[in-house]
Amino acid sequence: MIGTIGHILISGAFLTGLAAMVVYALAANKENEALNRAGNWLWGLKGLFVVGSSAMLIHLLITSQFKYFYVWNYTSLDLETMYKWSAFYGGQEGSFLLWIFCGFLAGVGLIRWTRNPYKAPVMFVMALTQVFLLSMLLGWDLFGLKLGASPFRTIAQEMPNAPFIQANPDFVPADGTGLNDLLKSPWMMIHPPIIFVGFAMMTVPFAFAIASLWTKRYHDWIRPALPWTLSANVFLLTAIFLGGYWAYETLSFGGYWAWDPVENASLVPWLIGTAGIHMMIIQRKSARAHKGAIFFAILAYISVVYQTFLTRSGVLAESSVHSFVDLGLYGQLLWFMLVMIGLGIGFFLYRYRELPSPEKEATILSREFMTFTGAMLLFILGLVIILGTSSPIIGKLFVPNPTPPQIQFYNDWSMPIAIMMAFLTVIGQALFWKNHTWESLASALMTPLLITSVATILTIILGDVRNIFDMIFIFAAWFTVIGNFAVMFDLARKNYKVIGGTLSHIGFGILLLGVLASSVYNEPLLDQRGQNYNRLVAMGEMFDEEGFPITQKLEMFELYLNQPKVINNRMMMTYEGYTLTDSPRPGTQQYRIRVEPLDGGRTYYLYPEVYPMLTSSTPDNIDWSVDPDIRSGIKSDMYLYVAGSSYVAGENEKLDRRRNIANVAEVETPEFQQIEFKKGIPVDIGPYRFTFKDFSPAEERALPDSTVVGIRSVIEVVHRPSMQAYELEPLFAVYNKDGQSWTYAPPLEISNWELSVQFTRIFPESDSIELTIHGLEEEYEEDWVLIVAENKPFVSIVWLGTFFLMIGFSVSIFRHWEREKNTKEHTAD
Amino acid sequence: MKPKLVLGIVSIVLFTSLLMYNFGQSISTYVNFEQAEELASAHVVGVWDNSLEHGFSRETMQFSFHMKDQDGNVRRVIYPRPRPNNFEQADQLVVIGTMRNGIFYANDMLMKCPSKYNDPNALEFVSFDE
Repeated sequence: MIGTIGHILISGAFLTGLAAMVVYALAANKENEALNRAGNWLWGLKGLFVVGSSAMLIHLLITSQFKYFYVWNYTSLDLETMYKWSAFYGGQEGSFLLWIFCGFLAGVGLIRWTRNPYKAPVMFVMALTQVFLLSMLLGWDLFGLKLGASPFRTIAQEMPNAPFIQANPDFVPADGTGLNDLLKSPWMMIHPPIIFVGFAMMTVPFAFAIASLWTKRYHDWIRPALPWTLSANVFLLTAIFLGGYWAYETLSFGGYWAWDPVENASLVPWLIGTAGIHMMIIQRKSARAHKGAIFFAILAYISVVYQTFLTRSGVLAESSVHSFVDLGLYGQLLWFMLVMIGLGIGFFLYRYRELPSPEKEATILSREFMTFTGAMLLFILGLVIILGTSSPIIGKLFVPNPTPPQIQFYNDWSMPIAIMMAFLTVIGQALFWKNHTWESLASALMTPLLITSVATILTIILGDVRNIFDMIFIFAAWFTVIGNFAVMFDLARKNYKVIGGTLSHIGFGILLLGVLASSVYNEPLLDQRGQNYNRLVAMGEMFDEEGFPITQKLEMFELYLNQPKVINNRMMMTYEGYTLTDSPRPGTQQYRIRVEPLDGGRTYYLYPEVYPMLTSSTPDNIDWSVDPDIRSGIKSDMYLYVAGSSYVAGENEKLDRRRNIANVAEVETPEFQQIEFKKGIPVDIGPYRFTFKDFSPAEERALPDSTVVGIRSVIEVVHRPSMQAYELEPLFAVYNKDGQSWTYAPPLEISNWELSVQFTRIFPESDSIELTIHGLEEEYEEDWVLIVAENKPFVSIVWLGTFFLMIGFSVSIFRHWEREKNTKEHTAD
Repeated sequence: MKPKLVLGIVSIVLFTSLLMYNFGQSISTYVNFEQAEELASAHVVGVWDNSLEHGFSRETMQFSFHMKDQDGNVRRVIYPRPRPNNFEQADQLVVIGTMRNGIFYANDMLMKCPSKYNDPNALEFVSFDE
């Protein structure tokens, strides 16, 4: 019932959106204010429908109505309420709905703030994009032509041929399959809404660019469009940051950026949007670069649509870690993209000759030229990334069935481009606020260059930089930070409101420093054995059993319970056990790792987790997932996860045994077990806890003749369920007889429990002993963990750079928005 | 023609060809195990052959298993990390690395997991709990 209402509401939204689009188009064409107002009413009505259908979907999710496919697929009964909210945009359909909702809000803002003559054509474009997005959710079946996938379809509609549906069409599952565990993170709750706000706002400059082509008013559109584009960029940047932070913190690939297609999907619009911002600023300042500003405003949105097409149509299914399912929207997404390209680029070319062009070309030493070049570099970087991401399509030019490019491809191209940008930001900013000749520019940059050189040399020495390319990179990054800071320092004294640009550029420089430091100096942490092994591998002196050199380095090490190990000659790591909890996920093991820096730093603990993935585990097979723990510091982050443990291995073994009951005979417990004990560390075997407390001297009369060594150990045995305890003092002696050494280790019995304990070996160097124990029913298993750990220096600098960028952009938004508001009040007078 | 325009066109052409050349170099195609013998680095697509021995060795810290590529060749694959998440579930594996002496040394491995969407049978294990 509710599903039907939701379905009708979406159809209603689509139809009113379509009507609004037509009305706005007429209003724009006839410059009719009444029609425009009618369009606004339709827009509002469409918004009501969208809000209504979203509310319906949220209601279904919260009340767990598993009859509906979307609810069944993304939630389960045990899902916390807050994650039921994120399930709303956990799937494609819901995320489209969220995007539409954000677009609607942007439209309301535009209705409120846009001036004529742009009002109607801007809203026409907004309505057009909404119509396309809404069509993805229609779930209409027009004479066999399927249009969209409705979030309100039932399981019976989704899989009509499934046997249980054929048996009982009204079948309702008892529970849902649940939200992907990786998405159950507070970061993932806020990341998608922010990205869709960014996408929706990126529609606005596109709409303004089209409106300026439509109305042939090429000058004024950038005034309102600039703050919108800046805001879109801040949202995208925040979303990229959150996504990167989530990947760093939750996934085990060990970094904040992996050039994954979905990450690129948010980066490219940001780059092109930023290029657009630069063009708009030139146009505003110097009344030139109209073409560039319009072109990039159009392209920024097209890149949003293109990347949406790539990630959601199933084209990239094999090359991304993000699993996007193919909803059969390929055709519709393709049309969406083609229409946007046709409208944007087509219209642009149609009007191209009419667009104002500058009377004379800018000299090289001008802010126009520098800013223009900067924008072009941003654009080129965007193109390179688009090319890489499009490898499944464009790669076909080279090879059949192409793979994604190596990460190296992205790094090799983005780094030199970034270096060029870095130098340009300083020269561009210096020229932006003051006219310079070559001489005056050189003298203005002298001090920053000197400081940069000192900073670079210090960095090279302290960081032991050997690579010449890295040195250039470091110089460029420091130059960006210091050069822009010098400009900002001058500006702030005159008018602090205009420092947005320099702040952003400083952030860019900091970001570069952070990226380099955190990627080049990323250091795997290993024990002595691993370090030696890797050294031999690096020298080509490690061979496998067939005599071939081994090329793969070790990336992990083992820790045994309560046995400290020296790691990277810098710290001592100890595994102190794990606790099993059912919160937040059932079956989670939280491991406790103690880290003691050897240089006297403070001891701390890390708590990595391993948990069964609920959504993909079955009674026969557990899918384990890891949750790294990170200790963030200003200088470096300690990143660590448990890649395997005796607990997980044991659980897997149990499952294996259960699967092959017929094949495997009952595992027999050995008659006796020899186990090593370290002084003071309790060991649990079955219901018993054994603790070797100390040595105690052995009295003369208990020892055999001619004893060389004779000692007792104090052993405490606790039966944990009953808390009954015994203390034993088994004897260990070495004596000579007939010219040979013999050991004497008489067994001691605990008759209540049918146990006997012998003290059979001694390891004085490690304060350990070996006991031989008869009568245990459970086999003792060593408690171990496999650790993957990395030291990641200066990740904090990456975040710091990002924050500077965000703040810089925000300062600019306020400045441009204030000016736009003032102009408005002027015209109202 | 203006010299600036010529310069611009030449640099665009140069840049584009360099970019495309490098792009062409950095992508490769999916191959089978036999073709991988001749490549320094290969992407091989296949499925896990769980009838043959597999497991993580704590001695060598490697996970080894057998994979059947799309043309039916079965080879041992050595992966220098623990068994990854989703390994058993994956209906397709992509291993990236080098083939040497009949053994594939994977530096990287991607798991393609079955989409819940297109597989109605996946529903059964949660739904029939009479």
